[in-house]
Amino acid sequence: MKVRVIALNTFAGFLRNKLIILFVAIFLCILLLFMTPLLMMKAMSGQTAGQTESPVLTLVGALMSMISGFGSLLAAWSAADTVADEMKSGTILAVLARPVRRWEFLLGKYLGVQLLMAVYVLFTFGFSYLLAWIGGEHIQTTPWVLIVYPLVRYAICSAIAMFLVTMMHPVMAFGIVLVTAILALMVQPGLRAPAFLPGLLKTVVYTLLPSTALLSESRFLTITQASLQKITWDVHAITLTYGLDYALIWFLLAVWSFRRRSLARD
Amino acid sequence: MPAAAIEFQNVTKVYRRMFREEQVTALSCVSFEAGAGEVCAFLGPNGAGKTTAIGLLMGFHFADSGEIRVLGCAPGDVRAKQQIGFLPENFAFYKYLTAPKLLRFHLALAGSWSAEAAARIPELLAKVRLHGYEEMKIGRYSRGMVQRLGLAQAFLGSPRLLILDEPTSGLDPAGRKEILGLLLALKAEGKTVFLSSHILPEVEQICDRIVIIDRGRLLRAGRLQEMLATGDRVEVVADRITEEIEQAAAASGAVVERGPNGVRIVLDAARKREMVEALWNAGCDVVSINPVKSSLEEVFLKVVEHREGDA
Repeated sequence: MKVRVIALNTFAGFLRNKLIILFVAIFLCILLLFMTPLLMMKAMSGQTAGQTESPVLTLVGALMSMISGFGSLLAAWSAADTVADEMKSGTILAVLARPVRRWEFLLGKYLGVQLLMAVYVLFTFGFSYLLAWIGGEHIQTTPWVLIVYPLVRYAICSAIAMFLVTMMHPVMAFGIVLVTAILALMVQPGLRAPAFLPGLLKTVVYTLLPSTALLSESRFLTITQASLQKITWDVHAITLTYGLDYALIWFLLAVWSFRRRSLARD
Repeated sequence: MPAAAIEFQNVTKVYRRMFREEQVTALSCVSFEAGAGEVCAFLGPNGAGKTTAIGLLMGFHFADSGEIRVLGCAPGDVRAKQQIGFLPENFAFYKYLTAPKLLRFHLALAGSWSAEAAARIPELLAKVRLHGYEEMKIGRYSRGMVQRLGLAQAFLGSPRLLILDEPTSGLDPAGRKEILGLLLALKAEGKTVFLSSHILPEVEQICDRIVIIDRGRLLRAGRLQEMLATGDRVEVVADRITEEIEQAAAASGAVVERGPNGVRIVLDAARKREMVEALWNAGCDVVSINPVKSSLEEVFLKVVEHREGDA
């Protein structure tokens, strides 16, 4: 009950958070700008399907990557901001004066962030289908993959940000998550690692950082008429467990760090 | 003293800055108790450490040494918090909520949400003069209205112990009077109230016990009546006084005031017996003998100034 009301209140706060509204508005503007060439192609009825397929796939792929990247940023920022704002404004004092344990407070905040990200994922899920439809293509994947994989990825980002914000300023926490996400992408197997990262260090960094590529729904996504990649349930289960486990570790670290945190207004 | 609702034993709190040598001692070996059913005022000048002590009491900060018990539990223990109503200094709120929604949110946090409890919210809002503002977002409230709402959330669920940090801050004189009335009603119900305030005449009206701290150190703690009695001056009231006694009293530094109901003589406690015997021998009737009491403000200033003198 307590966790649920904190989560719902956190979500209600996000819907009124000016920074998040601005963030979403800018994101929507960029999406609409990207949609323009797709709509143009759709309008040019003279072109054959073969002529439009390649640019449509490029655009849809770019848009979906952007949506995914924006989601990670949104998850990290909202998690860092919601905890920091409670401490800065002092609203946390009245909440924790109630019979609420610190971990319950943090869990409520975390679930509030996940609620926001669920809305975001559902929106992007619908948007992906809309884009494919505009481009005259068909998304061939199991729908739940497009929902669950991003959610797990965002759960990791928000858990790391929540842990960091128990010790530092939210902007710094957000920055570290951003750098971590970029670094995680750079050290993926199969990609050429930057020159400043020796091979051994690359392996260590890859092991320590969350593998966003592994948790990317694009692994299972085929926006063509080609056949689907066959992914078995055990692969899904192992991959998602890896992601959830990673998020859980960071969330538990956040709870541990917050346990003895002084709640003086920063 | 009744069983202690709040106990501080040799509590020390030092604020340290990460990567820096500097440290500030907010509380140094502070010990005091507040009994159950008492109204205890926690006084001190700005920066004395009152808010830190209240933060320790609520489990918002952690003491470096010493022991704190609240209703028999460690600070932050949910069993104690279930019975505590708390008003922080500069009560902060979710601006997008309305007062009834905020109170329902707090009821849910307290784990005592029920249709019956929720039905009492309008009554509580009326008690703090916020009826008629149920539809207004809290972000549009004035400072005084926010403070009143903070008090309403502290009173929610009929707590056994109320911890109020500056409860009358931001309120107009009429509002302050109403809040004092509410606190007196709570005292009559047997609730324990622990409050910090700078408005000493009001505190004096409702408190049983006083704790004075300054610069993190305990200066005085005790029952209000004992503290206000200075002990070195007494007031003798007689039905009349003779010319000779009056002259002798004036010569010894006593103050004689004539009133409609008799004569009031304020003199050193050491000369009390001598004066009473003189009055009796002269055939005057002694109506009362009482220790002269200072106001809480006088006691507070004396204690704090004495401490500054020592420093």
